[in-house]
Amino acid sequence: MWWGFELEFKSTLRTKKLWVILGIMTLLYIPSFYIAKSNGVKVESLNDAMSVLVGNVNSSASFFIAILAILMGATAINSEIEKGTLRVAMSKPIRRISYILGKFTAHAAILLLALLIATIISVAGVVSLGAPLGAELFKEATLLNMLLLLAMIQLVALGYILSTLIKSSSTALGAALAIFFVIFLIVPSIVQFVAMAPYITSDGEIDLQKAQERADEYTKKYLFFVPTSQIDIIVRDARNIELSSGELKMNYLGIVHGIRENLPSFLSLVFMTIAYLAITFYRFLRMDLR
Amino acid sequence: MIVIENLVKRYKDVTALQGLNLEVKPGQIYGFLGPNGAGKSTTILSTLGLIFPQQGRIQLFDLEVFRDGKYDEGKLVEAKRRIGYMPEHATLWDFLTPVQTLDIIADAFKIPKGEKEKRIRELIELVGLEDAKDRKVGKFSKGMRQRLLLAQALINDPDLLILDEPMNGLDPMGIAEFKDIIREQKKAGKTVFFSSHILAHVEEVCDTVGVIVKGRLVLEGSLEKIKEEFLKKAGYVIIIETNKPVDLSNAPWNVSPLGENKYRITASSDVREDVHDFITSKGAKILSMQVKEPSLEEIFLKVVE
Repeated sequence: MWWGFELEFKSTLRTKKLWVILGIMTLLYIPSFYIAKSNGVKVESLNDAMSVLVGNVNSSASFFIAILAILMGATAINSEIEKGTLRVAMSKPIRRISYILGKFTAHAAILLLALLIATIISVAGVVSLGAPLGAELFKEATLLNMLLLLAMIQLVALGYILSTLIKSSSTALGAALAIFFVIFLIVPSIVQFVAMAPYITSDGEIDLQKAQERADEYTKKYLFFVPTSQIDIIVRDARNIELSSGELKMNYLGIVHGIRENLPSFLSLVFMTIAYLAITFYRFLRMDLR
Repeated sequence: MIVIENLVKRYKDVTALQGLNLEVKPGQIYGFLGPNGAGKSTTILSTLGLIFPQQGRIQLFDLEVFRDGKYDEGKLVEAKRRIGYMPEHATLWDFLTPVQTLDIIADAFKIPKGEKEKRIRELIELVGLEDAKDRKVGKFSKGMRQRLLLAQALINDPDLLILDEPMNGLDPMGIAEFKDIIREQKKAGKTVFFSSHILAHVEEVCDTVGVIVKGRLVLEGSLEKIKEEFLKKAGYVIIIETNKPVDLSNAPWNVSPLGENKYRITASSDVREDVHDFITSKGAKILSMQVKEPSLEEIFLKVVE
């Protein structure tokens, strides 16, 4: 397994798409903290710091790192078949399962690295806004990273499935992008709108609490295959932002609380990840490498 | 070394192998010939467990690695420890140098560090990549990539070397060096199984030839045996040169003049002695006589037809 891991890790670190996506993410997030600081925004308590940190890392992960994950997965196997490197690798005394496990673990490690970069940027950001550093902040950041990693692994696994189904890596890349934008961005927005629509009055007013409850119910029920939507629910409950007399109030309750409150979302994350991985490994162990 | 029995491989709409039977014996340099799409690469990929045939049996060394649609992965991995494989149309990892490539490939065989370094040095020299050993493979020409592909196939000093169209992309010097390497392998008692569509290369290097057409082995044997068989079927062609013109109009064979005192005789068997007696009886002398051997290309074209 280590052999496949080493090869894939070194190889992925040298891919342009990794650094382009991480570069764009960094370029967008660093100025956002700078602008917030220029406008006098201050994060004074540890509670607020955790809330801002978790919100920031989640938003960067659910777009930039998620897109990286699915793109990385979509070209993982087919591009190696195209280049012929997979035939060279698999002609050596290596079991298919250990090779794919090594490759997959390398991709997971790269995603963890990307999440850590997002976390470091966010920690630096909240510190620059005056937030105190504390052990609790790092504990919550670690928990969030583990949760996000689970979602990202699910997306890589989905990409791997595409990679075993579509022979051409460029076609698979296009399909992955289409899936990402349609299924992970457009469909959740439509579902949320449908869920909230009955609570929007003719004069544009909305019963936010009821609308949000129904949106959560719909997300759990109909978007169980969208890991970023499930994470959003968990993170929102962890941050517990309330609108009170026209002002947003942050009352950070923690990732564990978010998971406990949304166990079906967490379980769907775990189950879908296992299911995608099982399909990926099943396909790879039986596919013709030509 | 390799025993393939009744191997069947169907892709979606094409049957690539239709009950292929083939045997490569220890120490042979086996040339595997066939037109494009005949099933050469499919055979090689099946042998290495890279694709899944529907039925048949594959034995590598004394290990039955495949039987009736299933590979025994444990045995396959064990067999691969003794196999070197050079694929067709492949590149290696662009971001690695030849030394790094061979290092990582050697790790797959768990070659100890000291031995590994020595082996890498030897192979880099053998394939003539000393000057490029620290350059990234991504900047290599096709010929250089082929050389490195050969080097990686030799990293474990394999007992069985499987090469898929190995001389594609090599310049004449590279081809000559490559042939020398194969001859060295034979001298060292190794077995080489290689596919090619360049018949001259096969003829020069191989001692045994197999021809595959539409997924079936249609001809197999040593080159001498194949040529002999071909001569028996197609007829012997004898070219003679005499010291003076001879009237061969009543000769019992098909005779055609080739030039001054030169004749081409076609017969159904080796009639050299009879020709000698006939010419002598006409009061002439034979200055030279030779049986025109068919080239592998002629045989191949005939078989493929």
